[in-house]
Amino acid sequence: MTEILTYLGKDQQYEKYELFFGPNHPGMHGNFSYILTVEGHTIKKVDPDPGLLHRGFEKLAERRKWMQNIALIPRICVPEPDINEVIYSIAVEKLMGVEVPLRAQYIRTIILEMARIGSFLFGFGGIGGATGLYTASYWSFSDRDYLLDLFEWLTGARVYHMFIIPGGVRRDLPSGWTDKLSETVDYLQKRLYEYDRLIYNNPLIVKRLTGIGKLTKEEAIEYGITGPNLRATGVKYDTRKMVPYAAYDRIDFEIPIQTEGDGLARAIQKREEFQLSLDIIKKAIKDLPDGPVRAKMPNPLKFKVPKGEVYVKIESSRGEHAYYIVSDGSDKPYRMAVRGGSYTAGLVLAQKILVGMRIEDVALWMATMDICPPDFDR
Amino acid sequence: MEQKELIRYIEENFKYNKKIQKIDEKQFSITVEKDKILNILSFLKLIDFKQLALITAVDWIKENKFEVVYILFSYSHVQQILVKTFIDRDKPEIETIKTLWEVASMYERDVHEFFGIDFIGNDDKRPLILHNWKDKPPLRKDFDSLKYSNKIFGKFKKDEEND
Amino acid sequence: MLLTSTKDLKDKGFEEILNFFRKKSLWMLHYCTGCGAVELPPTMTSRWDMERFGMGPMATPRQADLLLITGYLSVKSLKRVIYTYEQMQEPKWVIAFGSCPINGGIYYDSYSVINRLALYLPVDLSIEGCMPRPEAIIDGFTKLMKQIDKGEAIGYKKYKENYEWYKKNQREVLERTTPVLEQEE
Repeated sequence: MTEILTYLGKDQQYEKYELFFGPNHPGMHGNFSYILTVEGHTIKKVDPDPGLLHRGFEKLAERRKWMQNIALIPRICVPEPDINEVIYSIAVEKLMGVEVPLRAQYIRTIILEMARIGSFLFGFGGIGGATGLYTASYWSFSDRDYLLDLFEWLTGARVYHMFIIPGGVRRDLPSGWTDKLSETVDYLQKRLYEYDRLIYNNPLIVKRLTGIGKLTKEEAIEYGITGPNLRATGVKYDTRKMVPYAAYDRIDFEIPIQTEGDGLARAIQKREEFQLSLDIIKKAIKDLPDGPVRAKMPNPLKFKVPKGEVYVKIESSRGEHAYYIVSDGSDKPYRMAVRGGSYTAGLVLAQKILVGMRIEDVALWMATMDICPPDFDR
Repeated sequence: MEQKELIRYIEENFKYNKKIQKIDEKQFSITVEKDKILNILSFLKLIDFKQLALITAVDWIKENKFEVVYILFSYSHVQQILVKTFIDRDKPEIETIKTLWEVASMYERDVHEFFGIDFIGNDDKRPLILHNWKDKPPLRKDFDSLKYSNKIFGKFKKDEEND
Repeated sequence: MLLTSTKDLKDKGFEEILNFFRKKSLWMLHYCTGCGAVELPPTMTSRWDMERFGMGPMATPRQADLLLITGYLSVKSLKRVIYTYEQMQEPKWVIAFGSCPINGGIYYDSYSVINRLALYLPVDLSIEGCMPRPEAIIDGFTKLMKQIDKGEAIGYKKYKENYEWYKKNQREVLERTTPVLEQEE
């Protein structure tokens, strides 16, 4: 039967057409669009069309005072907002020469790792959604809620916390919070093995992910790919270890790496880093020192930051998230440039790597690469 | 290499005018002249500064200058370098570096859209993020964002006509 | 309500019976316009389980009843949202999330985010909060259901009646030919 069909269609050429993959497309992650030129099912050309989430943060930050910006910047990135507050606070502290108390550093570490786990759980949901395994999304979103509940207890908000401020953190941990966090970590540890069974031992998913968007070490560095995606190609580099911030220099951990650099390696890398984050939280809770949680800062509405510039980067779940902040000595930032973790992957690498893939692979590639549109829209 | 060695190496081997400034243990900045930007970046790429993290600009309106900043990182030296150069604000032009890094073309398109800086050799000047933008580039310091927003989006009075 | 004649049934009754059924099966369009969308997965999945209200996500605008504006709306998105809204079949409703579509919220001075959604699209219901919690979203949905039941959610009719007015506002933002601010030179 297939022979006859092939014979009948031998002179037929697939027509070339343009497909708007997003913004209103079920496979699209967030509000973003790829304009694909497609022949049959095969992608021939990719043209990213970002800007649908553009709010002009870089301009808005220049119009607000140093402390007022704390309310604004978490909104740059939705799945993992805390990284923004941490980068901003570290930048201000570096420019002002403020020493942050140790307890605050540990609390920051715990918050960052919780946010990271939340983002990985979102990632599991993404892989589940893109492969049709909706159980994974249902599980991961409800597991993420355990973390959000802890955030709510701590800060009063589920998603945007505005908890980390220049000089430390807003307030001390409530009593009993760390015990509950330990319980949640144990629970997530137990669940992780279930995710192993559900996602990573699933022959369909393994087969589907193998070979998607394969990258070599050199390509990954050349294209500015960072974070778990870089480590999945075999580069043993982690900002938390190499250029430590918060309390990471006091916590001992080993960086996991993969070598294949394809979709499966990236997914496994994320699972390994999930485990790593759980371990770091456990260690941080154990070592959590006593003491103040905030350094003495001047009047929040008036303080000025000395002239200078600094580039601060931290390890987010999607890679290197960084700000370049310039101060001219006034009470507002003079310039704040944002480097999103998936900027280069989503806008530049996509133009090269998606060519030759099939339409249905795009959503899966985006899920494994963790393309997050707010990173480049800002 | 450690930061001190690295700075010494650059000072000895990169002959053109430059100013090196330490920011902290893991990063320092190099300011060069506008026409030497390709030289310094290719020099740094050769000594293993392989990752181009960001290209951005700062508008120094009082000095009537744009500062273009290239942020590089090396995985072997674990050092961040901020390469900077100043260009004239009235004639904002600088050479493209897309021959060195492919990702540069997208950053340059971005900077062109938000600052109006022309990257000679990079012809991709299609609008990337803004929709139907007719005003001056929005990240310039003399662009008033609140005034713009009030003028185009803030029409509360009209709502009464509707009811 | 007592329906006495065929005319009555046609004018009022039919609509009411239809509204009764409509409110029990609302399909929302799967389009995330802004950051409020991050609270939709928890609302949809096991913890809050939106489906018990007969609601579910729908991929194409032509089969959806509900358009969610989940947070701020940039000008570029506004164009897509208007296309999407006009593709949806009647009856259709718009829910705006958070303070950004009401007056710009934290982005009141942004050059790229619209301040007042009601100028461009008829909004049936606004849910407060930045971002609205899943409970608030569910509460908003139930309120919309009540409105539909009473026949008060008639934004789409308003849109048709004031089509020219809406179009004029949309054109002012989307199809400018001159700069908004005067150039100094």
